[in-house]
Amino acid sequence: MANYGFLIDTRFCTGCNTCFYKCVQENRLHQQAARGFSRTVVLIQDNGLLQHRCMHCENPSCVASCPSGAFYKTPEGIVLHNPQHCIGCKTCVVACPFNVPQWDLQKKEFVKCTMCIHRVLKGINPACVEACPTGALTFGDRGEILNTAKKVSEANKLYMYGMEENGGTSVIMLMKEKPVNIGYPDVASYSITGRGPSTIMGAAAVATLVYVGLKKYSDRRKQIEEKKNQ
Amino acid sequence: MKTAKLSRRQLLKWGSTSALLAGFSPIFKNLVPFASFAEATEKEFKYTITKKIPQVCARACECDCAYYVVVGKDSESGVERALTLEGWKDDPVSRGKYCIKGLAFVDSMYDPDRLLVSLKRTNPKKGLNEDPGWVIISTQDALTDIIQRMKKFSREEIVFCSPGDPYTNRLCRSLGVRRSDQRTECFGTHYYINSLMLTNPPNKYYSSTYTLTHSVWGFDYSTTKYMIWFGFDSFTKCGKAGILNHIAEGKRNGTKIIIFNPMKTPIADGFADEWYPIKPGTDLAVALAMIKIIIDRKLYNEKFLKEYTDSAALVDEKTQLHIGGSEGNWFAWCKTHKKIEPLGKCDDPALEGGPYEFEYQGKHISAHPVFQLLKESIKDYTVEWASKISEVPQEAITRIAEEYAKASPYSCIPNLKRDPAGPNYANSWRLMHAINILHTLGGSFDHEGGVLLLSDVKIPWLEEIAPPVKPYPPLPAEAPDFRHEFPVTENIYQKKDFSAPGHYGIIGYGLYHTKKIKCVFFKNPFRGLHALIQPQMVEKALEKMELVVDWNLYVDDLSYFWCDYILPGTHQFEEAKLDIRQYYPKYPCYVAGSAVQKSPGDCIGWGGIAVKIGLALAPEYWTVDGSTNPEKVIPTNTGDYALKKQGIANNTKEFLTQKGGIWIHKRPYPNWRTIREIGYGRPEGRIRIYLDEILEAGHDPLPKWAKRWTEPEGDYRFSLIVTRAPWTMHADPNFLNNPVIKALCEKNFIDRVWINPQVAQEMGISEGDWVTLETNPKYMTVLPRPVKARVHISSRVARKDCVITFHGLGHRSPKLRYAKSFGYRDGDLIPQKDPNIVKKYDPTGMGWVEDVYVSIKKGGRS
Repeated sequence: MANYGFLIDTRFCTGCNTCFYKCVQENRLHQQAARGFSRTVVLIQDNGLLQHRCMHCENPSCVASCPSGAFYKTPEGIVLHNPQHCIGCKTCVVACPFNVPQWDLQKKEFVKCTMCIHRVLKGINPACVEACPTGALTFGDRGEILNTAKKVSEANKLYMYGMEENGGTSVIMLMKEKPVNIGYPDVASYSITGRGPSTIMGAAAVATLVYVGLKKYSDRRKQIEEKKNQ
Repeated sequence: MKTAKLSRRQLLKWGSTSALLAGFSPIFKNLVPFASFAEATEKEFKYTITKKIPQVCARACECDCAYYVVVGKDSESGVERALTLEGWKDDPVSRGKYCIKGLAFVDSMYDPDRLLVSLKRTNPKKGLNEDPGWVIISTQDALTDIIQRMKKFSREEIVFCSPGDPYTNRLCRSLGVRRSDQRTECFGTHYYINSLMLTNPPNKYYSSTYTLTHSVWGFDYSTTKYMIWFGFDSFTKCGKAGILNHIAEGKRNGTKIIIFNPMKTPIADGFADEWYPIKPGTDLAVALAMIKIIIDRKLYNEKFLKEYTDSAALVDEKTQLHIGGSEGNWFAWCKTHKKIEPLGKCDDPALEGGPYEFEYQGKHISAHPVFQLLKESIKDYTVEWASKISEVPQEAITRIAEEYAKASPYSCIPNLKRDPAGPNYANSWRLMHAINILHTLGGSFDHEGGVLLLSDVKIPWLEEIAPPVKPYPPLPAEAPDFRHEFPVTENIYQKKDFSAPGHYGIIGYGLYHTKKIKCVFFKNPFRGLHALIQPQMVEKALEKMELVVDWNLYVDDLSYFWCDYILPGTHQFEEAKLDIRQYYPKYPCYVAGSAVQKSPGDCIGWGGIAVKIGLALAPEYWTVDGSTNPEKVIPTNTGDYALKKQGIANNTKEFLTQKGGIWIHKRPYPNWRTIREIGYGRPEGRIRIYLDEILEAGHDPLPKWAKRWTEPEGDYRFSLIVTRAPWTMHADPNFLNNPVIKALCEKNFIDRVWINPQVAQEMGISEGDWVTLETNPKYMTVLPRPVKARVHISSRVARKDCVITFHGLGHRSPKLRYAKSFGYRDGDLIPQKDPNIVKKYDPTGMGWVEDVYVSIKKGGRS
């Protein structure tokens, strides 16, 4: 099964945000967007343009940290969120190193890019890719995206972002300026999994249950013994 | 039946074991296949498509991208409506792309604040503090009222504020009234200098167009090898899909792009090979120095100059005019035969030298070739001089001039709108002249890879399909915008091209001071009061007007506070269209669009209004036989006529239904052919470098250095750089009243004035602080109105002597629920001009939109 990814060559991005508005129209997100939420948006920073969107990590921190399994990664490499399983604990907000999940209190759901899975599964590019006037956004097989990114980056002495951050992502950005100087989060080149708060909480819950259970058992045994002696 | 007994001990044992297992569930969690959670609704489309309607974007910018409007059913509401756009790959302009403004246009059809009925004011007092007392009136009744009231005014008392579209042109000419429009704020210098140098309207390919932006040519962005942008990259350009897709292709092909701009735009981040934060208003110095380098080092295309320009044409030393007239048969000095010969027949014309002495029409003449005069004109404009003025390094100016010349004719200096050589400064018309000369020296005019001229397809004016049966009445001798004081523009307007832009930079002054006008009719769907610089003068003047009418899609500031009647306009997607690809004319092309929906409510198209008023007030010009019989109304479908004449289709409907709505002739670009057909000089057309008309107006016929109108003084030391967000267009509520666009503006600080970080530090200003911007009172003597705004500190304001403002904000109308009170109005800072001041500096009479210095003071929260 194909694994997908984006390549964003920011040398061709002008910050027009046609991608942002197309996403809003494609996913009918007008009310949310009017309240400041966006699945993808380009922010005009002093040293460059900051693309804020889900990175569809290889080892998503949101998936690892979600206690209810609302976040999950599909075989196509797409990180999705199912609001029906979400308990609104916002652990993912803390866990995501790219500051992606936005909690919409009004609709009680997270706002996050879905890689237009509804289009991708039909063989159509995501809406943002279709709309980009300069071709700064491309989409395709993740392996090919990574290879192209490496070649273009080397040939043009560009920085890459998303290649190794958080253990690798499916959104590779190429830029002239150092990413951190533009405002991209300085993310470690590995993912932290299996040490999320849910494991600690789970362990504490088990310990409590065991203690309470054993205490009750012991008290009951004592009661029975006392009755016998009487 | 046996029953299983479970003792309490057994229950406790099993229960605690289960709890233990449940506690370890996180371990197993990840092993649970996602399929059990995979009913996510994200895998479904949020809409179903029912149809795709071809359209042409005619009001968001000058590109006129063609695309499809996708109509379908929204899964949540179940309502069928326009949802989004889809690209039209065959369109040579957009090539399957569209922009955020095009997308926003789709949603604007359903803006809850959209005006769908006509309104009539019942409170005769106008102004910001008056309740208009609007009542709904049928559009038919409103027009009847308006027509009755217009009958009471003389021709001298009426002005139409509208671009010169075919209907407005016909209406104003038939009524014998003046027209003024805001395109002087955008295109005025381009238009007039281009007209005087080459396009000489009405030429063979002179066309009425939907957008009426009046640029007369495009640029071959994808094939050019070298581009110089004198501020061509405003923030607005960041959003123009119809240009960007070509520029991106050019960049991939290796085009080198040099940018001169005091602000660092997002386009510069990625597209600029070199970027220089030039001192505002000094681009002219760099352009003049480049001309000198190219001439001194003989990097020009001599053959092109001799064959396609007036470079060898002789100019009389005494009269300082072309011998043979400005449009006549010119003469050259033949180096071989040592005598004058007709320019077109001379095999060895002199470009330099002189004075050449000869007899002509019984007089002794002493003359120089134009090229020699140009050489003398720029002799003092050294790179040292230019560098000192512009703060661009000398080495850069020299190298760029050489590189540009060597890349010619595959080089260009694009200028489409208010940015480069637009009406920004008092010296902008000179910059336009200099830029065109740079194109001329390299032979980039009318050549692949350079400047592309219109050819082969046109859309006629109404006069062509329905000639007036008798001459139009004369216009009033005096224009409320003082156009009559500017012979260069007045001559073109009256005798050559009635659609020529004029003179919004002075109309406020005219309406306020002269008080002759009693009736103002605005055709306003996208600009309104914001299109006017120093609108406070117009606001005051309109308070006293007897009749003010607006045709608009919204009740904006102008409509709400100062109009007597507001007529609801049609949305651009509710109109059928035929368009030529004016901004990318490499291939002759027609593209058509269909109405996406019928206009709701009581909306009326501008053409309908013009015909009604015309038939009522000047019927002899609106009927085919000059009668007053409305049954004989003139045909107005210029699109059908154009298609039939070209042999493409019988009408637009057939073109759309049977030919796919697009016709394109992909032939190789005919280099240097259109110059012959439209240019000056006879028998074959040429580019004019030397401008007789400018001389006759008392100005320099060849570009000379001149400073800006204003100088920094004391606290008034910040040069105003006016731009617009990539996702808005003028003050158009179609975008600014869109809550999604508004949220995007807020995310990117578009609702703030941008100042340089060092300036902020020196003045103790922090991000988000309120400041007051004020114009030097020396230049704004009447009705000053300082602007209060919040600040965004950004190093994209690359110079300490600049401040960036975003145009189009600051609506006050209570009928714009999202646009109201959002941002500030930068137009309040730009002075309306006394025509006597303008005449001194600028024969084209433009608005000088950025020629102003302001002070910044902390505080002043509005």
